[in-house]
Amino acid sequence: MLLSGEMATRAERLDTAGLELDRALRLRRSRGVVIRPAGYSWVNIISHLRRLPDYSDLLYTLSVHRINVRYRQTALGVIWAILQPLLMMVIFTGVFSILAKMPSEGVPYPLFAYTALLPWTFFSTALTNATGSLVSHVQLITKVYFPREILPLTYVIAALFDFAIGVVVLGGLMGWYQVAITRQVWNLIPVVTLLAAWLLAVALVLSAAQARWRDIGVALPLLLQLWMFASPVIYPLSVVPEAWRSWYLLNPMVGIIASFRDVLLQGVQPDPVPLRYATIVTALALPAAYLIFKRAEASMADLI
Amino acid sequence: MKPRGPMFPHMVDIRFERVSKRYRIRQTDSKSPWLSRMLGRGGESDFWALQDVSFEVAHGETLGIIGPNGAGKSTVLKLLSRITPPTSGEIMLNGRLAALIEVGSGFHPELTGRENVFLSGSILGMRRKEIQGKFDRIVEFSGVEAFIDTPVKRYSSGMYVRLGFAIAAHMDPDILLVDEVLAVGDAAFQLQCHDRLNELRRAGTTMLFISHDLPSVEKLCDRVVLMQQGRLVASGTPHEVVSRYQNLAANAQVAALADAHVPGDAPVATVEAITFHDLAGKNVLGAGTGGPLVARVHYQATRAVQDAVIEVFYYSRDGRTLHCQQTTAVDGGELMLGAGRAALEFVTPELGLQPAIYSVGATIRERSAAGTIDWFYGRTLLYVEPGKSVRGHFYTPHEWRMVGEHVQPDNHRSHV
Repeated sequence: MLLSGEMATRAERLDTAGLELDRALRLRRSRGVVIRPAGYSWVNIISHLRRLPDYSDLLYTLSVHRINVRYRQTALGVIWAILQPLLMMVIFTGVFSILAKMPSEGVPYPLFAYTALLPWTFFSTALTNATGSLVSHVQLITKVYFPREILPLTYVIAALFDFAIGVVVLGGLMGWYQVAITRQVWNLIPVVTLLAAWLLAVALVLSAAQARWRDIGVALPLLLQLWMFASPVIYPLSVVPEAWRSWYLLNPMVGIIASFRDVLLQGVQPDPVPLRYATIVTALALPAAYLIFKRAEASMADLI
Repeated sequence: MKPRGPMFPHMVDIRFERVSKRYRIRQTDSKSPWLSRMLGRGGESDFWALQDVSFEVAHGETLGIIGPNGAGKSTVLKLLSRITPPTSGEIMLNGRLAALIEVGSGFHPELTGRENVFLSGSILGMRRKEIQGKFDRIVEFSGVEAFIDTPVKRYSSGMYVRLGFAIAAHMDPDILLVDEVLAVGDAAFQLQCHDRLNELRRAGTTMLFISHDLPSVEKLCDRVVLMQQGRLVASGTPHEVVSRYQNLAANAQVAALADAHVPGDAPVATVEAITFHDLAGKNVLGAGTGGPLVARVHYQATRAVQDAVIEVFYYSRDGRTLHCQQTTAVDGGELMLGAGRAALEFVTPELGLQPAIYSVGATIRERSAAGTIDWFYGRTLLYVEPGKSVRGHFYTPHEWRMVGEHVQPDNHRSHV
């Protein structure tokens, strides 16, 4: 028992006094929990939401971790965040402006495309990552409990980092094309919030579905491509025929991208009609998505 | 050190009330049409991992759960850690719960040890401030100080495991779930882990300990429950329940053996079981290094076997034969087995094996014939606990004595 003697002195130094202190400090937080069969009433959902702030540290750590890891061991590093939308802009300008002569509301086409690509790239990158987020963390999901919505949420937050870099590039482009930034730019804060909320709604549903059916991940690139053509990214909203409008506007990305263009390129307040559509759809979708996600969460560890 | 709170002598930290858990097993039968499989029809059968399980764990108590694989032990942990919900029943928890599960599962290979402490710690449920406060203790415990700023993908598997355990062991929960994790790391690290568990226990942590390592269960737990096929079948003192489980396992072994024989090739003699005893004949799980051990080979012969040899083999867990005892070597004489059931004992006065878990097998053969009549291959486990100190690979009985006289140095004499 020579060996254990040495260990014991070491263990003693990891004082039990400190342990007692930790426990005393924690008493405030500790409370009884009752674990019952999964239920889906609204009361349950609200109690889930109430407990979320307990995990704010985890959300923070994981989100920072995503940003840290994202460009590790890449030669260009964070430059990728700038290159992705810029290269798309160059390609779109070549194809849709020079070849197809797409109208661009009197704005240089590259800038016209970029103002839409900025929110769109945010949406598609975050959605792609978030959809796979549960499946890529099987190890955690089957071993540790935490609210699973944190996983897709961290990818949404991490994508905001790329988005912020993209905004800086946008500033540069606007300077280059001598388009003035007006006070209307503050209107973008609620619009970006709306974008994040809509993104989260879609990400919650798709990530939960992907945990059950891997088909989602396979179909997603195609879906995103279709979705981009169903949003005013390469063309202006004005070319969409009036008869289709009310259906077309049900896609919240329409209102969001249109608002970006209104505010940045025209220097006016966002057109309220598309924005209202986007807000209503998102306001209905997000709670529904959360409910769907929480229902799926119960059996997630067993089925993933 | 303050043990369980005197103000709440009957405080219960965990209560299972008629808890059941059903898993739906999907038959992935390739013959069923793909459409019905996609629609989730096809064959679905129910599997009850837990059926109507009720038990309580008092504040500060350490409860062991033992049972064969598939008995539902891990399901209990999964329900407690809220990874999956129960199908019916209710579980009451009082206090912060932490699970010492597969360590390092929250690690990211590209991040440094330091970053991973924060990442893994927050996944396990610690606050950033809390991790900051414990960071030095965690790193010291893990013993990887020198590499704390190196990406963990460059760590050896031992370092990885040690850091992972260090984080989990410093969660200081009110309720701790321990699932078979102590089998990792080298002997020194295992001792360190046991020390830490004891420390948490002394500090009043309620523990649920799930393990196949029966001697550890006996040593660590205040009370043990036995599970079988999703039900709780026994509860009592560690010694009672552990020996009951062993009898159960021995019976199952005999039953399994009866099935295993190929009909038409029935051997004239078969080894039915191997049991271990102390010198008084009492059933034991194992012995201490350097202590006495009696291995009893139970056999059955359909007719008399002339000039038989019975051997007992000791294997390491990786299957190497470490040691063999045989009847001819014991007395050199002839062994004749009569028809019927009987047993034969090998008495080892001082066991040479190091503390570890071994598997033990036995054979019966005729000395004259080439083939072995029956081979009972390593289906019995032997637990060897620390006894006489072993450095090196094995212990041998030895004595020591002094020879010659001391030659006392002159300069010491003047002080006396």
